[in-house]
Amino acid sequence: MGVFSVFGFALVLLIAVPLLRMLLTVDASELSRTAADSEVRSAIMLTLRASLWATLAALVMGIPLAWILARRNFPGRRVLEGIIDLPVIIPHTAAGIALLSVWGRQSFFHRVSGISVVGTEAGISLAMFFVSVPFLVNAAKSGFRMVDERYEKTARSLGAGPWKTFFSVSLPMVRKSILSGSIMMLGRGISEFGAVVILAYHPMTAPVMIFERFQNFGLKYALPVTVLLILISLVVFISLRLVEERRR
Amino acid sequence: MIRMQGVTRNLGGFSLQDIDLCVEEGEFFVLMGPSGAGKTLLLELMAGLASPDSGRVNGVDDRALGFIYQDYMLFPHMDVFKNIAYGLKVRKIDKKEIRERVHGLAEELHLLHLLRRDVRTLSGGEKQRVAIARALAIRPRLLLLDEPTAALDRANRLRTQKLLRRLHSLTGATFVQVTHDFEEALSLADRVALMMDGRLIQTGPPDEILTRPASREVADFMGYRNIFSGPVRGGKMRVGNWDIQVPLQESEFAYAAIRAEDILVSRSVLDSSARNHVKGRISAVMGNSAGAEVLVDAGVELVVGITRTSLDEMGIRVGDEVILTLKVSAIRCFEH
Repeated sequence: MGVFSVFGFALVLLIAVPLLRMLLTVDASELSRTAADSEVRSAIMLTLRASLWATLAALVMGIPLAWILARRNFPGRRVLEGIIDLPVIIPHTAAGIALLSVWGRQSFFHRVSGISVVGTEAGISLAMFFVSVPFLVNAAKSGFRMVDERYEKTARSLGAGPWKTFFSVSLPMVRKSILSGSIMMLGRGISEFGAVVILAYHPMTAPVMIFERFQNFGLKYALPVTVLLILISLVVFISLRLVEERRR
Repeated sequence: MIRMQGVTRNLGGFSLQDIDLCVEEGEFFVLMGPSGAGKTLLLELMAGLASPDSGRVNGVDDRALGFIYQDYMLFPHMDVFKNIAYGLKVRKIDKKEIRERVHGLAEELHLLHLLRRDVRTLSGGEKQRVAIARALAIRPRLLLLDEPTAALDRANRLRTQKLLRRLHSLTGATFVQVTHDFEEALSLADRVALMMDGRLIQTGPPDEILTRPASREVADFMGYRNIFSGPVRGGKMRVGNWDIQVPLQESEFAYAAIRAEDILVSRSVLDSSARNHVKGRISAVMGNSAGAEVLVDAGVELVVGITRTSLDEMGIRVGDEVILTLKVSAIRCFEH
């Protein structure tokens, strides 16, 4: 088991050293100045908000889909599962371009509806949704698959209809998987750059702001925003994991 | 009460075929058969939890039906009270009545002290009583039980059988229970249906199935330890070095099934009306709860049941020569 510890420790170092190095490079006064910068604050808030909207939308649409994928056997199910997984595999800039072709100003959707999500908060949420929804759907699907179908049959035998069975038995039994998937999706959304930058350079999310400052002013100016985003993300995710742990 | 006609259901590698079955109102009906025979699927079809590919299931009112799975399927995110109350809440029954019914059942089934417990912390017997209470709370006219005693030890199994008998007479409901244990079927059932490989093989009162098995498979499942086959000529079948007289005159091919306890073992030929006697040598003595099973080599190996008292009195040892005696009426013959 000693070898396990060595490999495990090496992995933690690979993740922690660059992060620690970055944290130590930025001094506290610089960090508080950045935190007071309204542009930075609004970029971070926008990032968190857009990712939250994307996650909420995915909860509403993704959970029923996950249930269908877990419970029903139908022709084309594998293809559907492949489509859901696709955003994880393709480069996110490609995802952004794909979204632009459907939701952009030259698109059929725009010509018909006059609505464009390019350069809007909705566009940012859409990009985040596109690239991160597989995490939630797959977590919920695995959760539903792990729940013995006989629980649902028992509820049905006791007189519950399909909806009642879903909301009173199936859903509560997979809440841990759904919470876990939501945390993953939220995190993936917050970190998204490629798809977001193509669909909405402005308003600026934190990852886009980090890129812009790095591009225009160099590493020194990009670091404080990066550190601030990491610290806020850390607080958010540790809190969510604690909630998850408590429910367990 | 329940009538199944020509019911067929295909599940890929397994199928239920041509099920014709009728369960009467108020009956304690037991579905029996080895694992993988399709008993649970048949129960789900009765409950309307699965649909037949063809055929009809009539007479099941799903508003008055309770279903208990082998693993009880207690909802792990609800405590004991909420599990029992589930069917009542679904029916939007008044809270006061729910409380009264749950407490009444909990008292009847010795669960009062467990009502606020997390169901995951209950013992097997407690879980089972909660599952029974949950199913009975809706006052079903039909209770379907899928091997409710399979996961229990012998003492708890016997206690549960007693409880089910009591609840059956108390509620007057129709009980349909699945089991693979024929002793349990004998102790509970008004009627038994025996299933094998997705087919109903034989249906009838337990005594009839026990004493008149319809086929070799049924006899085997019902615990007939000696099953021989061959032609029957002039009412006799050759078994090892024994021409046994059987209750059949002529057949090209027939089976003769004999229960271990129907063969008598003695040191000398018994003065009795029994027609069949043969000499053999004891090859093994294996103890069991009733006494012992003695293997006797009479050209073919015969299994003989013997009580502990007889075993002690006769002082039977491996290698002893003994006489086996068998009445013709104790032999079951069938040609398939």
